Amino acid sequence: MSATTAAPAPAKEAEAAPPRRPGTLGRLLREPVAAVALLLAVLLVGAALLAPVLSPTDFFDNDLGSAMAVPGSPGLPLGADAQGRDMITRTLYGLRLTLGMGLAAVLLGGGIGALVGFAAAFYRRVDGLLMRLMDVMLSFPAILFGLALAAIFGPGIPAVVLALSVATVPLMARIVRGSALAIMALDYIEAARATGMSDRRIILRHVAPNCLSPIFVFATLRFGQVILLGSALSFLGLGAQPPTAELGAMAAEGRNFLFFAPHIAIIPSVVIFLTVLVFNLLGDALRDALDPKLRV
Amino acid sequence: MGRHAVQRLLMAIPVLLGVVLVGFLLMQVVPSDPALVRAGPSATPDVIAAIRRDMGLDRPLYEQFGLYLWRLLHGDLGVSIINNVPVMQELGNTVGPTLELMFASLVWAIPIGIALGTAGAYWRGTVVDRIITAFAVAGGSIPVFFLGLLLIWYVGFKLQLLPFTGREGPLWTADGLKAIALPAIALGGTFIGPVARMTRTAVLDVLTVDHVRTARAKGLGEFRVVTRHALRNALIPVVTLIGLQIGFLLGGAVVTETVFSWPGVGRLAVGAILSADFPMAQGTIIVLSLGFIIINLIVDVLYAALDPRMRAA
Repeated sequence: MSATTAAPAPAKEAEAAPPRRPGTLGRLLREPVAAVALLLAVLLVGAALLAPVLSPTDFFDNDLGSAMAVPGSPGLPLGADAQGRDMITRTLYGLRLTLGMGLAAVLLGGGIGALVGFAAAFYRRVDGLLMRLMDVMLSFPAILFGLALAAIFGPGIPAVVLALSVATVPLMARIVRGSALAIMALDYIEAARATGMSDRRIILRHVAPNCLSPIFVFATLRFGQVILLGSALSFLGLGAQPPTAELGAMAAEGRNFLFFAPHIAIIPSVVIFLTVLVFNLLGDALRDALDPKLRV
Repeated sequence: MGRHAVQRLLMAIPVLLGVVLVGFLLMQVVPSDPALVRAGPSATPDVIAAIRRDMGLDRPLYEQFGLYLWRLLHGDLGVSIINNVPVMQELGNTVGPTLELMFASLVWAIPIGIALGTAGAYWRGTVVDRIITAFAVAGGSIPVFFLGLLLIWYVGFKLQLLPFTGREGPLWTADGLKAIALPAIALGGTFIGPVARMTRTAVLDVLTVDHVRTARAKGLGEFRVVTRHALRNALIPVVTLIGLQIGFLLGGAVVTETVFSWPGVGRLAVGAILSADFPMAQGTIIVLSLGFIIINLIVDVLYAALDPRMRAA
């Protein structure tokens, strides 16, 4: 009873309200490129999450009889690798690990970077020191961090994730510091200070929420870049070690059979390319949708 | 400008010391005992102790650091564990090819990237702009090893047009040029996209300023307006951004060298790390870091030279 009477009320309200500005998602979906990128991103992440379900074979299955089978062979639409493992299964699991490593690096590096950025914006005494440190970190590329960390810890996934995180920290710190400083110059922060609010509360309640869109845009763009860098480190042999399936490591394995069975290297490489492209496009589109001022 | 350069140079010193310190610590934290590795599996404890003494590993840490600094200043980076070749000698052989590869990549990628970016900005919003932007985004998303493998497979193997392993001689010889072609196309190919995007943004900013409008109003040809009045001013941020991207290029060079078996520092570093050759890994990492510091310094100074406003500062 109460449900039937309550239901029409919001509809009436919506009718009466002035036509609403389309939300971020609405603005994002109006651009065809962005809509396609979003769809592909969802599909890629979905495929990675559902790898065990979608894979036609068990991860450890191999049939040496079908080693290097070309795509389109019976029962193997994408062929098999040099050890006769189904390429679809390998690629799905590889994608899962590659995306997972990228996500870990963006969360870890981005999280620490955001903390540094807020600290620099809020405590001006440490600002100079922190940002000089960030400048120094910024002057070295991720591949070098990867080499150094792989030399210290030995090649492996932790070394690569750590390197990608370290390379992400200064970038995120700069972005967060910049947007936090812009917001802190506004009157309402002064007002919050005047009411005697604690620093922590001002940052958490008033500054951080308003920095979320640049953080989100950067994280999306960085996710693509980190996957590009991470797969390069894995390709060099500094990341995931065989028999683990990781897209960059798979491309490196396939390199040895390039002339007899090019698909072994090309399929994982294409998936990396597509993933990076999708997240780059999505990041650009998000930036346009979240901040129309930045549109060129 | 001179003062600016000196200032930059002074600021690079602490970074340099940091790199040297990190290089030293690298050797301290590695999980293997260099003396043990050097001695080999069948060495007696006496031999290991002798080697340890010989390498200075039995002294306190600060003395080891002093020794390391002393050796570093004398260009002594130790000896490879794998083949006993001095690290410095290997570096001397590989730095040249790496610089060569970077030069060969930049020399064609930067002009094309700047031309594409300028065209995109000039015809902004048109089909031309869209195609260039799409190309730039795709170029910035392709893994350099993928581009390399495609070139090896198609141009090198299928068409048999160009060699795809190793270096055949200096750049100015026909063989040397042929051998560097594919690696330079692969590495430069990933660089065009970022350069084009940066240039497009920078030129767009400049195309709307007053002096460009004045240049147009006084009847200058469009080509002249764009190249002389817009692009020239846009080049300041572009040079800076390209400089910042050189790190990215050197990172790409590490991968490209591995793909094409190019005998550079990057391939040496990766090989050393994979074979746990710690002195070699340490040496290559120190040299690569030094490379970045020097490149950044040059970009900084170049930036000041390009922008007259910086000279006063």
